[in-house]
Amino acid sequence: MSDQSAMAGTAAALRAAFDRTYALPSQTQQTSKTEDLLAIRLAGAPYALRVREIAGLANHRRPVALPSGIPELLGVAGLRGELVPVYSLAALLDGHRGTEEVRWLALCRAEDPIGLAFADFEGYLQVPLAEIYAANHDHLAHPSVYEVTRSAGVVRSVISIPAILEMVKRRCGKERV
Amino acid sequence: MWTFGRKIAAGFMLAFLLLLGIGAVAYRSTGRLAQTSYWVEHTHEVLEHVAEMVSLLKDAETGQRGYVITGDEAFLGPYQSALGGIAKVVKELRTLTVDNQNQQKRIDDVEPLIAAKMEELKRTIDLRRKGDTSQVTKIVSGGEGKRTMDSIRRLAEQMDNEERGLLKKRAEEVESASSGTKSTIIFGTLVCLLFVMGAGVSITRSLSGQIGQAVRHVQSSSVELQATANQQASGAKESSTAMNEISTTISELLASSRQIAESAQQVAHIAEESSKAARTGEQTVEKAHESVSGIKRQVDLIVTHMLDLGKKSQQIGGILEIINELAEQTNILAINATIEAAGAGDAGKRFAVVADEIRKLADRVSGSTKEIRQLIEEIRAAVNTTVMATEGGTKAVDLGARQFAEVTTALKQITSLSESTMEAAREIELSTKQQATAVEQVNSAIGNVSTATKETETSLTQTLQTATQLTGLSRELTRLIQPNMSA
Repeated sequence: MSDQSAMAGTAAALRAAFDRTYALPSQTQQTSKTEDLLAIRLAGAPYALRVREIAGLANHRRPVALPSGIPELLGVAGLRGELVPVYSLAALLDGHRGTEEVRWLALCRAEDPIGLAFADFEGYLQVPLAEIYAANHDHLAHPSVYEVTRSAGVVRSVISIPAILEMVKRRCGKERV
Repeated sequence: MWTFGRKIAAGFMLAFLLLLGIGAVAYRSTGRLAQTSYWVEHTHEVLEHVAEMVSLLKDAETGQRGYVITGDEAFLGPYQSALGGIAKVVKELRTLTVDNQNQQKRIDDVEPLIAAKMEELKRTIDLRRKGDTSQVTKIVSGGEGKRTMDSIRRLAEQMDNEERGLLKKRAEEVESASSGTKSTIIFGTLVCLLFVMGAGVSITRSLSGQIGQAVRHVQSSSVELQATANQQASGAKESSTAMNEISTTISELLASSRQIAESAQQVAHIAEESSKAARTGEQTVEKAHESVSGIKRQVDLIVTHMLDLGKKSQQIGGILEIINELAEQTNILAINATIEAAGAGDAGKRFAVVADEIRKLADRVSGSTKEIRQLIEEIRAAVNTTVMATEGGTKAVDLGARQFAEVTTALKQITSLSESTMEAAREIELSTKQQATAVEQVNSAIGNVSTATKETETSLTQTLQTATQLTGLSRELTRLIQPNMSA
């Protein structure tokens, strides 16, 4: 009985929150003081991607492998009617190709978009800007990571998509993909 | 080899024969002496009768003379006595000499002479009474009376001589018999003495040797007997001690047998109770078996329902997977909508709010589906655990049913074995009681044997004393028989 009442309470709270959303005035001003992030995990480590830096998110999209000299390139995949190259985000960050299965693809917002594949998607985060800190460059894990944030007690490295794109461009320039 | 008794008997027999011979000779000589003495006395009696006959005739003649001379009747006394006794004397004389023809003939001769003499005396006496003295003188002077008397004296003298000759002859015979008897007695006695001495020496030597040897044997045997009696006495003491120990042990055995009998009785009672309990247990087990069969059916039904519940849970899980997938896709769509709204600038901000709410709703749905999935997983785990438990229970029930069957069989075996145990315990009780009775009899017999052993011990002690005395006596006898050997 207690479980049933708890479930009923949860449903009621959900309904009330949904209704309250439409009852309250617009929060556009308030939301401008936050940063939307996608919480992911790469090789078990927590990371975050800025929502405003990506153009879309998809799952269960297995890239088609291509012969290439770039080990980070997993292949190509079709996203929103476009054929985009898919890179392993973990390989781009760690410098070698991981063995874990990639289920998720994030489409970068750029003129020449690319797909970044990663294994786990943990959720959507709205983090106040005050909670995003500049990373200490002495202990910087990767050149594409400039900031870190703390959410629910977990410190996440915020990956810079432009930096990733720049790194991909440099690799493509070298390898002539 | 002759025995001691035979030798002694032979010696005594020879001595007896010698003495018998000497005695026979002496007896015969004595008989001859007695016979001769009898005949001597007879001869003296005949002589006395002859002399009395002559004397009576003299007395008659003396009385006749005195009366004839004096006429006094007082002188006729001897005549009267002779008149009365002469016939008797002559008759006795005839009787005494009846074995002698010569003397009988002389008596025949003298008898008429005596009658004639007595007639002449009577006639003269009668004539004197009548006073015819001259006739009397004439008759006396005629000498007839004197001649008759001389003839009688002559015949009497012949008879006397005859008898004296016989007397002399018989005296010589007596002398001869006496001499032979003396010689026989003396020589026989000497021979007998020599023989007895020789036999004594021979028997003494023989007996001394053999008896000495026998006594030495007796002595050694008595010593051995003493040692044997000593050993037997010690053995009898040990036997007596052993009998006492056996008696004690048998008493303990008797007590043990009685305890065994009591224990067997208790075992029989317990076995009977066990048999009853086993029968009751068997009935209880059969009821329990029926109950277990019912439980098994119920458990099978529970398993079926639980398996159905597991299938339903799997179906719910499948639906939940769809819901989760939908929630995830909704979430992705909401995120993409948010991204698109962010890309639309200000125009997309209100849409971004809606997309955000949709995303949150999808997150919550996803969270709820996770909770439901967890609950379903718990339910499935519980169902699996319950199914496994019920399968385990079913197996346990099956095992229990089989074990109940085995228990029933075991209880039947226990019943049978309890009955067998009860019968065996009763047999043991009966046998043990019989054994106890036998042990009592054995104990009594052992007591008798112990008493007999004690008596034997006492007897052996007496035997030992007797053997010791016999040893001393044999030494004493050896010393008496062979002084040198005894030393």
